Amino acid sequence: MRKLAVDVVVIGGGSTGVGVVRDVAMRGYSAVLLERADLAQGTSGRFHGLLHSGGRYVVSDPGSATECAEENVIVTRIHADAVEPTGGYFVTAPGDDPEFADKFLAGAAATGVPAREISVAEALRNEPRLNPGILRAVEVQDGTVDGWQMTWGAARSAMEYGAKVLTYHKVTKIDRADGRVSAVHCVDLKDGEDVRIECTFVLNCAGPWAGQVAAMADCHPVDVIPGRGIMIAMNHRLVNRVINRLIYPADGDILVPVHTVSIIGTTDVKVENPDDLAIEPVEVQEMLDAGEILIPGFRKSRALHAWAGARPLIKDSRVSSSDTRHMSRGMAVIDHHERDGLDGMLTIGGGKLTTYRLMAEHIVDEMCRKLGETRACRTASEIVPGSENQKNYVVTHRLHDREEDRLEDQIICECELMSRQMFVKAWDDQPQATFDDIRRQLRLGMGPCQGGFCSMRATGVALETKHIDIERATGLLRLFLKNRWIGLWPILYGDQVRQTALDNWIFNGTLDIDHLPAPEEEVKL
Amino acid sequence: MIGAGVAGLTAALRLARAGLNVTLLTKGVGGLQLSQGTVDVLGYSPTDPATRVANPLAAVAELAVADPKHPYAVIGVDAVRTGLAFLHEELGEQLLVGDPETNQLFPTAVGAIRPTCLAQPSMLAGICMDGARFAIVGLRRLKDFHAELIAGNLARTPLPDGGHVSARHLTIDVPARPREVDSSGLTYARAFDDPEFRARFAAELRPELRPEETVGLPAVLGLKDPTAWSHLADLLDHPVFEIPLPPPSVPGMRLNNALMAAARAAGVRVINGSFVDTPVHSGGRLVSVNVETAGAPRTITGDVFVLATGGFESGALTLDSYGEVTERVLGLPLAGLDAAPLLHGDYWGGEQPLFRVGVAVDPSMRVTSPDGSAVPDNLWAAGGILAGAVRWTEKSGEGIAVGSAVKAADAIVEELA
Repeated sequence: MRKLAVDVVVIGGGSTGVGVVRDVAMRGYSAVLLERADLAQGTSGRFHGLLHSGGRYVVSDPGSATECAEENVIVTRIHADAVEPTGGYFVTAPGDDPEFADKFLAGAAATGVPAREISVAEALRNEPRLNPGILRAVEVQDGTVDGWQMTWGAARSAMEYGAKVLTYHKVTKIDRADGRVSAVHCVDLKDGEDVRIECTFVLNCAGPWAGQVAAMADCHPVDVIPGRGIMIAMNHRLVNRVINRLIYPADGDILVPVHTVSIIGTTDVKVENPDDLAIEPVEVQEMLDAGEILIPGFRKSRALHAWAGARPLIKDSRVSSSDTRHMSRGMAVIDHHERDGLDGMLTIGGGKLTTYRLMAEHIVDEMCRKLGETRACRTASEIVPGSENQKNYVVTHRLHDREEDRLEDQIICECELMSRQMFVKAWDDQPQATFDDIRRQLRLGMGPCQGGFCSMRATGVALETKHIDIERATGLLRLFLKNRWIGLWPILYGDQVRQTALDNWIFNGTLDIDHLPAPEEEVKL
Repeated sequence: MIGAGVAGLTAALRLARAGLNVTLLTKGVGGLQLSQGTVDVLGYSPTDPATRVANPLAAVAELAVADPKHPYAVIGVDAVRTGLAFLHEELGEQLLVGDPETNQLFPTAVGAIRPTCLAQPSMLAGICMDGARFAIVGLRRLKDFHAELIAGNLARTPLPDGGHVSARHLTIDVPARPREVDSSGLTYARAFDDPEFRARFAAELRPELRPEETVGLPAVLGLKDPTAWSHLADLLDHPVFEIPLPPPSVPGMRLNNALMAAARAAGVRVINGSFVDTPVHSGGRLVSVNVETAGAPRTITGDVFVLATGGFESGALTLDSYGEVTERVLGLPLAGLDAAPLLHGDYWGGEQPLFRVGVAVDPSMRVTSPDGSAVPDNLWAAGGILAGAVRWTEKSGEGIAVGSAVKAADAIVEELA
């Protein structure tokens, strides 16, 4: 058993947990973050990529609107490399109430969300694929953000301040002594070793899994109601700005251009288990219909991949109103002192990725208050590693990079222009990674071929780095293909069927991959 | 003839050899260049994909009885034998060797061992037999061939008789073109057509080899020069074999080029870049189709038509966002749609029934209607468009293609006579 001792243990490696550990570390606490899988593998990686302008909330939730508008500016600055300031339009589609735009503009003015009505002609000139029947259009400052890159940026910042970030470490038990949290037990899932971490404070940021974590401290049940939403990535950027329906928030009301794709989202269905998120055919049809309203001919364009995320909604009757007085909108904090007689632990639920930093600030403020200390938050002013040059993401940046190194390096993934050296560096940094871990950082296999050409290359290159043996390399290839298929088959139509047939022809036909020696046990992580 | 894969080329050639006037319409370059460049008849049992087939023709005969929905049930083993013999004769021993009654095991580019019965001579030294000693040689600038992956998997794969091959790996760096680090297989194949490049390559590799080793290389050993691989073996003084890569496939291109040249020489008129649409019917027969090609749309008339357009991989079959499957060129009724569900979510859990969907034919390969709706009387089909097989899983693509191609061609010759 390994032993560690720190001030604070943060549980959960989504944007909230990583934002919290960064903030804690910057305020001078020693800290460890525990994540049972990879960073941002849950909700923070399974959204539509929108960095809110606040526009979505100007009518339904004015407080959130103001917070989003302020945090949008901060996140665009401190995570410059993860954010593309695309701008966005809210458009009144045919059949939508044109008067909602007036409420919208009034709400925007009242909440400090920059918004300006533009002519339909201007909107159509700038976004020619938009439905020509739109009635009104309002320009806002929406952006798009890569949730993985943002989360890793914050994690690297935390590590620079001395925090440890332990991925693939699953919490098994939280010890209490004399009414206080005393230690967190976890298991390193990669090597099976138990780890015990003594601490004075635990911040439970496990999102939809927060109830499971709270139960490990023998707390009263925390009712988490995961709300499942599906998203579909369409090949190409059908639009270059975020396109929102100018209506009260509803399903399928947004199309977000992120990297080389456009993502349509989303739905909201209550589910029991955040680890079991189906992509229902009826919801896929609903999203395609919704896309058709914004972009005529949407169904004829190529769907690449679908996924489902779980919103971390906590509905807990034991949360008293006083608990949330300093907190961000949409966020719930459970103080386990009042509720369960346990000091030194807070559970956080709700929230959204755009305001992750502000949420972290509020949570850590609350922790400091409970510890009787005053330490100022500095996360809004400090740039995270990788964004020092203050250049925001542009969709052509990899093309530029490959033009620079085309005489020195190979392209392993043509769809996403990922070079061999990019892959090797990531692999050297994380020799126990899976290809999905690398995918989240480098977009391996996320383009039109969905791994058809790059996954065999990645396997070969990973093996050549000498970090893994032939059994693991082959097992990782099997795992990657299996995982790609999870998000492919629910949206398999059009050109992606043709691609799949070609990919099957390559893998089963030419390479006969299904007749490699059967693994004794499938590689899972 | 619509389609220029192995089925379309074989059928066109056979019809031309019989003295008929053949026009071949093809949208692109044909599927052979995506293939592994061998002629597969049946590698694995369709009912038990874990079972390797030892004698393909015998297994086809059994399958024809056991599974009436499989294309081999209507093609029959005799047509497959005839088709293979025809192809073999057209391509010659310089491009195709083997025995349709015997599958041999060849290494793949991930190090699996894969059964096929007719291979290119440049692949033969790679047959996996107990005690074989392979040196798998990668090229640093060719990213689709990872010697360590291939050698590692080959060495840990038990052969069906319990034996093993031994395999080690090495990677050498001989640029195909100066200052190029990311070369395709095709670029290397063109380099290997040059005897001077072969000499340079052999000079680099030869000192690395150990006695008694057989050298496994990516299948890029020459495109135009069919002696490139054997010349290289002479220079190395070691037996050499090629391992097929993902597309673009140099061995597939060799077959394609040879068949296309033979078809043209036999008088087949080839119209490249033909996107075929607007079929015109009259009196229960297909009279003409339109092609959208350079210049202007053209109407192509014919006494009979053969659909050899392939499956989903070519775009001949499409599935739309509402779940509707369509045969793209003529809108033919399809067989295999009754399987439910057509797709499932378990990647390693067996084949996807969608890929069995296709056109139904009678034993002369004339298109029939599985649902009673009308189909033209003068329409035949061959190859991947036929319903009932997942060709890449069972390794049956070329056997189905050439069997159905010669059967359709022979039936058409009889009909028109």
